[in-house]
Amino acid sequence: MNKKSGIIGIVVISIIVGIVASMSLSADETFDVDMTRTHGSISTAMGSPILGDPLAPVTIVEFGDYQCHQCYNWFHDTKPMIMRDYIETGKANLVFVDFAFLGKDSPKAAQATYCADDQNMYWEYHNSLYTSQESKIDNGWASSERLKAFAFNLNFDMEMFNECLDSGKYSKRVQYNSQQARDAGVRGTPGFFIIGPDFEHPIGGAQPFSVFKRVLDTMI
Amino acid sequence: MLLILKLIFSNFKFLALSVLIFSSMMIILSLISEFIFLEPYFVTHIPSGSELGFILIILLSGLSALVIPMNLFRITHLKNSKQKMSGSIFGAIVGSAAGACSCGPIGFAVISTFGSVGATATAFLTNYEIPIRIIAIMILVITYFTTIKSLKTECEVQF
Repeated sequence: MNKKSGIIGIVVISIIVGIVASMSLSADETFDVDMTRTHGSISTAMGSPILGDPLAPVTIVEFGDYQCHQCYNWFHDTKPMIMRDYIETGKANLVFVDFAFLGKDSPKAAQATYCADDQNMYWEYHNSLYTSQESKIDNGWASSERLKAFAFNLNFDMEMFNECLDSGKYSKRVQYNSQQARDAGVRGTPGFFIIGPDFEHPIGGAQPFSVFKRVLDTMI
Repeated sequence: MLLILKLIFSNFKFLALSVLIFSSMMIILSLISEFIFLEPYFVTHIPSGSELGFILIILLSGLSALVIPMNLFRITHLKNSKQKMSGSIFGAIVGSAAGACSCGPIGFAVISTFGSVGATATAFLTNYEIPIRIIAIMILVITYFTTIKSLKTECEVQF
């Protein structure tokens, strides 16, 4: 009898611990996203906010890593012209989806962007990371301290940002996004899918504006 | 020096080998470093700030195309040691490996296959791409001059 009640007691305690653990986990990972958001065959639900007009006929989905130097090149060489000719004119919009695989600081940097999104500053922080990127991977430029310093420079609510970053609130979100990249067949960063009304077109690597223009113009 | 180069590259086989080494290294390294794209359109592109990397690729390919046939000539025609040959191959491989990983498909494949060890190796090769390529070029330059020197001596004795 004693043995039986002991086993029942262990089972009951395990169930209670499990419920409490799952409740605390889901409380940590509650965030405001539209889980049904997809672009073409890609789920962008956990990706960035949409940059540009959400109703634009074409969407550029960028898979990137904040420590990737080719992503840095694309950000500085090609993206400004895409912004000027397609995004600011309402012809296209852009969604950034993390593919954080390069180094140990990559996932943390990606998580930090969603902590910035909590303060409606996703794109400002994203731009700040690609502006501040150093060419060496994991050399400390994207350490937690530096990520907080970038937030401080943008006048964030630092208590809120630090709590978000230190708790790893968005770690599963970044993992989900990286899995989306793998599922979409992305094999390096930056990787793009240009998604039009009728078809989607992959572009691999930090290709020049002329390539994007040719692809985008066939869709608009 | 010019006489020796003339002697080696007047042989069509060595000239063809040299052209093959240069062009294949240039194309492969340019593809890996994303100076050339084949899809969706063929396009060449050197991003600002990447000019030095491109120049080092040209130097590396050129020196490999010079030094490897020279050492093959020594081995096939003069039946000499393979020591300098390994130096030239080593220089070419080291130079090619630097920057091959980065965030492209090769880096992704290395990291996916070897996990954290692959990530560390990729980070090292990416972070020190330029110094590693310069060291590889130095190895090839040294191999070039020692090969010229030994060919001078050996050719004087043999011919």
